[in-house]
Amino acid sequence: MKILAALIKKEFLQIIRDPSSIIIAFVLPLISILIYMYGINLDSVSVRIGIKNDDANPEIETLLKSFGHSKYIKSIVYDNENDIEEGIIRSKLKGAVMIPNDFSKKLEREKTAEIIVITDGSETNTANYVQNYSIQIINNWLSTSKYKTLSQKPIVTSDLRVWYNEDLDSHYFILPGSIAVTMTLIGIMLTALVIAREWERGTMEALLSTPVKKIDIILGKYIPYFILGMLSMAFNVFMCCGVFQIPFRGNYLILFFVSSLFLFTSLGIGLIISTKMKNQFLASQVALGIGFLPSLLLSGLMFPINSMPVIFQYLTKVIPAGYFITFIESEFMAGTVWEVVIINSIFLGLLGSLLFIIVYKQTEMRLPE
Amino acid sequence: MNGNTVQIKNLIKKFENQTAIDNLTLNIEKGKITGLIGADASGKTTLIRLITGLLLPDSGEISVLGLNPSTQKKELSSKIGYMPQKFGLYEDLTVIENLKLYAKLKNAPDNFDKMLEFTNLSKFQNRLAGALSGGMKQKLGLACTLLGNSDFLILDEPSVGVDPISRRELMKMVKELITPETTVLWSTAYLDEAHSFDTAIVLDKGRCIFNSNPHSLAETSHEFEEKIIELMGGYKKEESQIAKNYEVITTDITCTVEADNLEKKYGNFYAVKNNSFCINRGEIFGLLGPNGAGKSTSFKMMCGLAKPTKGTARIMGIDILKNPAKARSNLGYMAQKFSLYGMLTVRQNLEFFAAVYGIGIRNRKNRIDEIIDIFKFKEIENQKSEELPLGFKQRLSLACALIHNPPILFLDEPTSGVDVIARREFWNHIISLAKKGVTVLVTTHFMDEAEYCDRISLFYNGETIAIGTPEELKQKSDSKSMEEAFIKIIKESEQK
Repeated sequence: MKILAALIKKEFLQIIRDPSSIIIAFVLPLISILIYMYGINLDSVSVRIGIKNDDANPEIETLLKSFGHSKYIKSIVYDNENDIEEGIIRSKLKGAVMIPNDFSKKLEREKTAEIIVITDGSETNTANYVQNYSIQIINNWLSTSKYKTLSQKPIVTSDLRVWYNEDLDSHYFILPGSIAVTMTLIGIMLTALVIAREWERGTMEALLSTPVKKIDIILGKYIPYFILGMLSMAFNVFMCCGVFQIPFRGNYLILFFVSSLFLFTSLGIGLIISTKMKNQFLASQVALGIGFLPSLLLSGLMFPINSMPVIFQYLTKVIPAGYFITFIESEFMAGTVWEVVIINSIFLGLLGSLLFIIVYKQTEMRLPE
Repeated sequence: MNGNTVQIKNLIKKFENQTAIDNLTLNIEKGKITGLIGADASGKTTLIRLITGLLLPDSGEISVLGLNPSTQKKELSSKIGYMPQKFGLYEDLTVIENLKLYAKLKNAPDNFDKMLEFTNLSKFQNRLAGALSGGMKQKLGLACTLLGNSDFLILDEPSVGVDPISRRELMKMVKELITPETTVLWSTAYLDEAHSFDTAIVLDKGRCIFNSNPHSLAETSHEFEEKIIELMGGYKKEESQIAKNYEVITTDITCTVEADNLEKKYGNFYAVKNNSFCINRGEIFGLLGPNGAGKSTSFKMMCGLAKPTKGTARIMGIDILKNPAKARSNLGYMAQKFSLYGMLTVRQNLEFFAAVYGIGIRNRKNRIDEIIDIFKFKEIENQKSEELPLGFKQRLSLACALIHNPPILFLDEPTSGVDVIARREFWNHIISLAKKGVTVLVTTHFMDEAEYCDRISLFYNGETIAIGTPEELKQKSDSKSMEEAFIKIIKESEQK
């Protein structure tokens, strides 16, 4: 125990003196939260479109007003078609709505009236938004205007309700997800470097010639980085909930319990890399390639898993970050769902223990040949 | 148990393509200090690692303190103190934190007053180990190793790259802090050091060629060196092919290298103070001094790698500050550490340096073939340079420094860690080059090498404290050897 305490103390002194570990644990999460908060936006809020109205009928003015009142679309009225085209080319406008001069006449004659909706297909997502929002606005207008008798009375009305994320704000799931990314970074990147560093600087050779036990060396790495990781986790949660007011509906105890299991698996991966790669540069490359990038790209945080090719979907099943992200998103937005908590905890716990055993088996107490 | 700490019988250890330890049988006596010497790649470090249990033998028997290092490593570890070549210090921990850590690991008492006093590290106990000078690091590494009063101390080249004063202090530390029962195994490249021990073991190609009292071989350390060279297969002085084929640029400048009032100040601290000297054409000029005296800083300023706060240097009359590129083109520089590209082959390294030094494409191949021929690199030209033994690496470094036929050579501790035969050969080339008119500026910690210099500048605390031929310095301080002169002159300057 005395030896383990000495090793843990040593590791903490090194963490404090080495700015890179502090940067990875606290500065990097801060930057990533700021980027996710202000830089990345998966929702299309107030897309700018152009409107050109050729119909002189004053009733149509109310349609223009409807466009003006929309929360999702910012419309600018143009007189000239060329200006609209110019606006789309320069990406100032993401689409356009054009009302032909016979629009109201056709409606009054109870004929099908055309309206042109132009979208910018080079950005498919936004194009879909423009299309859907425009049609929605036009239908709403139709049902409240004096032509409302013309709109067929729908037999079924759908009443849309969004659960868990009422405002459909993507920050509510991206920010908690970024916690997982940070924890992967600490778990894998930081720990992958620390044993390699001891080999590189020759301290491992000195350490191995003392009566230190294998379990001391391993726990002497696990424990300090576990504590650092949990501190960083707390910092992340504080930034999300305290500073950026992301709603948290779950239980903090459960959140920290499952997070600690996830950190346990990440540390395992990092240490396995570390025992194999005896040079820091190589260790960091491998950590990036097999640890960090898959958890960013294949965990479902950035890209939905069910839209991936089947083989990748299987691959996502073995990435611990995937399980953790499922849990953390549901814990934040839906509150504690015991099924989710238990299934993901069991998986993370088992994987973490398995990795710990591998680390133990792989740690050599002699020099490599 | 009889009087042997280590008993080795028919020990064999092979690595991928070479035999490191070849059917070795030897004993190391209890309570004695045993020196371990041998050429590079003779198996010294491998033997030490087998003894500590850090490597497993292929076959044969080892018994250390009555234990088997292969199966009883843990029991053995608590009885031995081992200092690896990189000393195993945590550079981002302070002096006292390193001591505390190793005390805990070795279950030793937590009282370092005596140790700190003895090593003169008391003043620096809160300094980071990485910020210590080379000599102090070595002392700290040794202090950590000595904790816990081990029965058996194993030191892998503890004195490499250390000045004569620090070396004496290291030796004193070991001798005074051990008990008469302690056995010490001390690997070294300094033969005078080995000569002063109770026993010397000489390894050659993984075999033991000498294991006895060094005084039984020779009375003085100089004769001992000659005998050891003989045992290792002998060194025959040949005409230096490198010098023979060297084309020296003729010049009428007498002062080919000139330091003009060089000064380097870090904050309030003078690393180098009004350093002036003039080296004549064809002269070997030695820069000597303890670790941290400012030799390397002077060196870097001389070749334009560091900017002086005052003064300047002139290479072939060209001011290094005003025209650094032109001044440097006259220089061949060999850095302290192996600074070639390890992943490149011998030929590729030569090609790279030929290009960097501006040898035209048309002449390049001829020049490289010539160099490979002269330096006898034919057999190893396609080998990766990091895989070469130290002696070859050092010859390759010299080849790269000479590839553009510079009239001036700067050598910064060129022979650190190189074995005695390779050193002899190296100096044969340097002396022959100087005779042809190449000016050489060199730093070294080997005092026997200092004797090869035409003139020496003794450097201490950033200042030149003595300058003259080796004979003059010895006379001035009334000393028999250069080492004695070195220590006396520095002690004298300390008293002032």
